[in-house]
Order: sequence, then C-alpha cells, then structure tokens
Amino acid sequence: MKRIIPFLLVAGLLPAQVHLPQYTREVLPNGVVLDLMPRQGTPLVSVLVLVKGGAESDPPEQAGLASLTAELLRRGTPTRTAEKFSEEIDFIGATFSTRADAQSTAIETEFMSKDTGRALDPISDAVLHPSFPDEEVKKALSEGIEASKASKDSLHEAAATYSQVFFFGPQHPYGRLAEGDEVSLKRIDRAAIAASHARLYVGSNLIVVAAGGFEPAEMRVRLAKAFGAVPAGQAYQWKKDRPAESGSGTRLLLVDKPDAVQTYFSIGNPGIYRTHPDRIPVWLVNTLFGGRFTSVLNEELRVNSGLTYGASSRAETNRLTGRISLFTYTQTATTVQAMDMALEVLKRFREKGISAEQLASAKAYLKGTYPTDHLETSDQLAATLGEIELFGLTRAEVDDLFARIDAVTLEQANRMARKYFGAGDLVFTLVGNAAQIHEGVKKYAPQMREIPIATPGYQAK
Amino acid sequence: MRFATGILLLFAALAGGQQFAVQTHTLDNGMKLLIQEDHNIPEVALYFFFKVGSRNEHVGATGVSHFFEHMMFNGAKKYGPKQFDIVMEKNGGNNNASTSEDETVYTDWFPSPLLEQMMDMEADRIRDLSFEAKMIESERGVVYSERRNGEDSPFGSLYELLKASAFIAHPYHWPVVGWPSDIQSWTMEDLQTHFRMGYAPNNCVMVAVGDVKAEEVIALAKKYLEPIPRHDPPPPVRTVEPEQKGERRVELNKPAESPLLMIGYHVPRTDSPEHYAIELLGNVLAEGRSSRLYRRLVDGDQLAISVEQSSQFSFDPGLMVFTVQPKGGTDPVRSEKAFTEEIERVRAEGISAEELQKAKNQWLAEFYRGMSRIAVKAYELGQYEVFLGDYRKLHSAGQDVEKVTADEVRNAAQHYLGRKNRTVGTLIPEKPEVSK
Repeated sequence: MKRIIPFLLVAGLLPAQVHLPQYTREVLPNGVVLDLMPRQGTPLVSVLVLVKGGAESDPPEQAGLASLTAELLRRGTPTRTAEKFSEEIDFIGATFSTRADAQSTAIETEFMSKDTGRALDPISDAVLHPSFPDEEVKKALSEGIEASKASKDSLHEAAATYSQVFFFGPQHPYGRLAEGDEVSLKRIDRAAIAASHARLYVGSNLIVVAAGGFEPAEMRVRLAKAFGAVPAGQAYQWKKDRPAESGSGTRLLLVDKPDAVQTYFSIGNPGIYRTHPDRIPVWLVNTLFGGRFTSVLNEELRVNSGLTYGASSRAETNRLTGRISLFTYTQTATTVQAMDMALEVLKRFREKGISAEQLASAKAYLKGTYPTDHLETSDQLAATLGEIELFGLTRAEVDDLFARIDAVTLEQANRMARKYFGAGDLVFTLVGNAAQIHEGVKKYAPQMREIPIATPGYQAK
Repeated sequence: MRFATGILLLFAALAGGQQFAVQTHTLDNGMKLLIQEDHNIPEVALYFFFKVGSRNEHVGATGVSHFFEHMMFNGAKKYGPKQFDIVMEKNGGNNNASTSEDETVYTDWFPSPLLEQMMDMEADRIRDLSFEAKMIESERGVVYSERRNGEDSPFGSLYELLKASAFIAHPYHWPVVGWPSDIQSWTMEDLQTHFRMGYAPNNCVMVAVGDVKAEEVIALAKKYLEPIPRHDPPPPVRTVEPEQKGERRVELNKPAESPLLMIGYHVPRTDSPEHYAIELLGNVLAEGRSSRLYRRLVDGDQLAISVEQSSQFSFDPGLMVFTVQPKGGTDPVRSEKAFTEEIERVRAEGISAEELQKAKNQWLAEFYRGMSRIAVKAYELGQYEVFLGDYRKLHSAGQDVEKVTADEVRNAAQHYLGRKNRTVGTLIPEKPEVSK
C-alpha cells in the first residue's frame, strides 16, 4: 500500500528574493572596470582579475595560449623570480590560481585581510608585468603537455573533453580546448605568449573585483594605482556566434580504451548562450531533466535500474551558443541498455513534458541552493560580480533572479523541453572498450568514427 | 560517498584561535548536539556523524558500511523509497553522504524553514529504515558502478593496493567501497546486522550550523530524535596493526598514459600529541609551489607534474600519503629517488624558522577559508568532536598550531618518515592490447 506522506508546508516560506550585497563600480581612465564589495566581519579578501578573450581568443592552431599565458604570470617579472613569487604568496598563506575558460582568463586570489599590502604587490606585479623567462616557458609547456596526456587516465575527464571537441568540431572556437592538448601546445612559443599578454592584458580589457574584509577607500587607492597604470590598449573583439560543426547530422565518436571496465558516454545537441532570453526556463527544465539527484535521468538510470552511479545533464552558458548534453557511464556489458534508456528518457521528456508540481519543485530547488553556491563566501561573491561584468549584465541578474524564476510558466517550460532536449541531430561520444561495444552502438548514428585513446591530442581526425 | 561532488572537504587541515559560539546539548538517548548560529545566508547545514565505518566490518562483508549509507536514502517507515530526496529537493534542499574507514556522515543543506521537516525525516530513517529486497539489488548495482569508477582510475587502483599492503592486520586493510566479491554477495542480514551495530543515537553527533535558533534546534531534536532508543555502540576494534619493519613495495601494471607513484607512511591516530606537528610537516613538504617536494620534483628536476600530500582524521593509526605524478615516459624510480632524498634531508636537517612560520600561516589561512562556509564549519565541528574528543579543540587549534616548534616537526619526520615505515606503490603503464 502506498502511504500518504504528510508534507509540511514550507515552500511558501522560502526567502522572497536574495540580493547581491552593495558594491561600488568605477571605470578607471584606462578602461579598467574596478568593483569593490567590502563585507563586515570576514578576515579574508578575494581579488579576481578577468581578462576578456579566453579560449576563443586563441589562434586556431595554438589552443591553450591564453591558459598557458596565465600559468606563466607567476613565473617571473623584472623584479621577481618564479621562486620568489611562490615564496611570498605561500608565506602569507595566500592562494593564486589561474584558468582560461571559453571567454575569459581568470586570476583568482585570496588572502587574509591583514596581509593586504603584502599580497597585492606580488599579485599585481605578476598579472601586469610578467617577463616570461625562456626556461619557465619551456617548463610550463612540458608540464602542460604531460598534464594533457595524463588527463586521459581519468576516463570521466577524457570523455567530457572528447565530447566537447567532437561536438563543436575544429572550425568552432569551442572545438578547441581552453587548456590546449599535447598537439596544440607544441605549436606555442615565447613570442606568441608575450604577444598574447601585450594584446589582452590592457586597461580596456580588464575587470578587477575585490570582495571581503577591507577598507574600501584604501583598497581603491591600491588597486587603482596598480591597475590604472596599464596602457588602455584595445578591447578584445568578440567572435561572432556560429553553429557547431556544420551540416553534420547525427554522429558518433567511439574512443577505444581497451582495458576500460565501464563505458562513459554523452549525448548532446545545441542549446543556449549565457545571456539568452530562454536561460532561466532552460535552467529550470534542465534541473528536472538531469540537474539534480531526483531528476528524471538519474531516477531512471541510477535509482530505478542501478545501471550507474550517476547520470546528469547540463546546459552550457558561455558567450556563444553551447551544448545541452547528458552524461553517464555504465559497465561495458550494459552500454546499449543504458544508452537506450537514456534516449527513451529524453524522448519521454520531450513528448510528455513536465507537470506543474515538477516545475514548482525545480523553482524551489534553484532558489534554495542558489545562496550557498553564489552568495556565501567572498570568492563566490567576487565570481558572481565578475560574471555580471564579463557578460555585460547588471545586479538585476541576482536581485531579480527569484522573480524571474517565479515568472516561468508551465507552458513556457514545456516549450523549452521540446525546443532544447533531444532536438535535431544528436551527437554521441563514447569512451570504452570498443571491441565489446562497437557492434551494439552502430545503430545510433549513420556516421561513426572510432579512434584509439592513444592517438595524440583530443581531435578526432 | 553517495555521489561525486565538486566540493572536497578532504582531510581537515583547519583550526585557529577564533571563537565560535557553539551551544551543546545531549539528548536522553545519548545523541550529542552541537549548534552554531550563523545568519550570513538563510541556509542550514545539518550533519550527522555516526562513529561506524569500514573498520567495524569483517572479511566477507567488506564495504557494507558504505552500502548501508546508500540504503539510508531508500526508504523508511514514514517516508518511503525516494521520498527523502524528493521532499528535500522540492523544498530547496540538497544532500550527500560519505563513508570512511572510521565514520559515516550524512550532510543536509537546506533553507532554514525546512528544519522541522528534516528532523522528522532524519529520525524516521535512523530509527525505522526499511530493507526492501528490490531496492537492495538496484543499489548494489549503483555501488558496483562506484567501485568501477575506482578501477578505471590509476589513482583509485593504486591507492587500494597501497592501503592493502600498508595494513596487513588492521581493518584499514580493505577498501571502504568493499572487495568486488563482497559487493556481489552482501545479504539483507549483513545490512540489518550493521544497522543494529552502528546506528545507535548514542554513537552519533549531530551538528547544525546556519540560520537557526539553538533553542529551536534542541526542541525539535527532543521531539523527533530523542524517542529513538539507545543501544550498544559497535564493539571496539581489537586488532592493532603490528609495527612495520621494512619497506614494502607494490607494483601495478595497467594501461595508462603516465606512471604514478604513491608512498604511504604509518602515522599516529588523530588525537596524538604529534597531530599538528605532522600536519605542519605535510605543509612544509608539499603545500604550495614553494614547498620542498614541489621545488625539487616539479620545478627543479622537472621529473613530475604534481606532488600532493594527504592524511585523514582516524581513530587508529593511519597513513600519511604522498602522490607523485611523474612525467609520461620517465622512469618513476627517478622521481622516487629525488623524493627520498628530500625526505632524508628533512629528517637529518629539520626545518628553518621561516619554513615553520610559513607552514603555520598556510594552515591558519586555510582554516579561515573553511570557516567562511556553514558546510565546512559543521563538518569541522563534527570532526573535532568525533576524532579529538571535544569540539572546543577547534577553538584552540590556532593556538595549538602556533605552539608547535621546529624541533617537534623534525622529530615527527624522524619518527615517521623512515624507510622501514613506508610502503611504496608504483603504477607502471603497460601497452594496451589492441581491440579486435
């Protein structure tokens, strides 16, 4: 017999709206955007520097250039060796990390408030005045190449990387890896790195955000002095949006890893971009499809059938149109069973849509989890604010978020399910034991390519 | 772990001189409550620490603690299968759980109005978990997939082998997820035995941190959790790992792009007086790019792309593990030789005053980073209460770290980082057979 569950009525008690804390925004004469968000009572300061461009600014043959340039920031300036920089940063327990994503390079740092003076000097020196010593360039390239090879030892990571590259194709900026691979990194030299820095790390292309425990007037003086002295230069010219690998139809890439005991697969189709008008409803609908534990995808593949430890989906939100894709894995013998099931869930989701109760649940879930993911710590707040600046948004992005979530109707949500989930040509990427699964997976796509995982790099040529 | 997460709350390297007002209460059934009000965001982190893990298992039923952790989400008396997750998520909450050798931890994050609902659901599954045969079979498949993730990973495979070689008698020998043959053969009886053994309220610490009122948490705990009857906690683990008397070496041949080197040293249990000296030693050796091992292996000799150190809170003497990722195509023996030279150097020469201060500063900054999140505060309060016997040691941890001397760090290196006390695991990549 099914029990009737006495749910407590709590959904109506969620906070009506969250707000981004107060901050000041200023554009320095050289074009640097400087945002300051002081917070009472926290002993930490986060400083985030964003450089517009990121992976899409890399020349097609030199994927990884922005990422490598960022990695080399800490490895020598006219007044500091790489060792001295690390010694200074480590001595005060500060963090300094860099990464490039689809549209920006991020330099993320955090330190104790009391060390503000000692931290900002090496940090701004590294970001603005790197000297790219030959020896360090050589080392960083070698480490990058080895790290790219080693990434294939993590099949989760390898499957995600292959699927991105295969989905977008070599002509698309997102068909190349932000961190590069062993093939593209070999084409990068010191001259390219120095030129990339000179072009992109200029006033009109920089966003500097500080959040945390600091005195705003003092912080403003320090950051304006350091970052206001950079030449204005020219803002990066964004690339135009374009479709993923053109005219391609349903296609499948099988990457052979003969000793794998599981098959790791993704299924994707085109989705949205960060500022797309459908973003909020797509976020809600994706939450229900594969964005949380009780999603229909995880429910079917994990909870009901025990085929996998996890199944999920995501809608990419980059500057250019990205993917909506599902990802899961299962033991080699149940590959076709799991893929059939994933496709069946996708089909049912499109055709049957979602219920009013499901939509209400997704709304509450997004509102309930948002503060912990975006508004709790200084580094989260700096990241939230940085994203607003990078994509040309305003604080309404946070301040009106709950109202925008509430405004999504059931009809609209179901339209999104049909428009974006399993729509058009699907792109399949699998990493697994090809000898065992090759025959079974042929049926999914007329165009099937197979490569050994040992093929250098991630391009499926 | 119940599912993979991006937030790794690994290896508690936290504490400091800061005071956190914590209210405590012990229920009549023995469950201890720790509550800290923090109104930064309108959310709550509610954690339950059961002092039972894979060290309480026996041969033939290894991994059952972890399996049980999964089953805790598969229905109880009042809230049937799936309901725990459905109710949480539809009200804006989220959860996870994890099992280690020593403990099983349930972690709930949710908007504060959901507090009473959570207490009701937690009490239901702690007291009246149901064991349905169908759910057991399906969840067995999930756990086996979790294990296969480890088998497909060089790190997971090598760590399992290293641990099994470093511990030959103590239950830390077997993997938390369990041996494959045991995963295939757990019975309902195994689960029920485990439930009776470990899930006593008197064997549990509950921590609530966030947008709550302490009196309200205590009142709700009395209403929902206090009626759960107390019973015997797990029997003591009797087996003591005999002293290791000579280096042990294990090799794993597996198709891989890069070799992997993992070296484990036996270290004392967490509540030993040398705890902080060992943590600072770990920082000096492998925390940051100015650390000794990074400088030597990655930057100087350019033999490796990374070197990491980890240790974990434990009831019994555990392992301090160093993981080196040598560059592809290099002989890991070269990395090992350079590694050993650095270890011998710290044992012979000790550390400088500046290195000691750096290690302490790193430790403290890391502490503050953690303490800015309610989830980490809840976790650390629980860890200090469970493994150091008193959550107040989290308050004094900063001072305790400050007291550590360079001599104590050197002594720790001399005592524990000797060759005879270590196990060296190496993954040697082999060429894959070509698929036919």
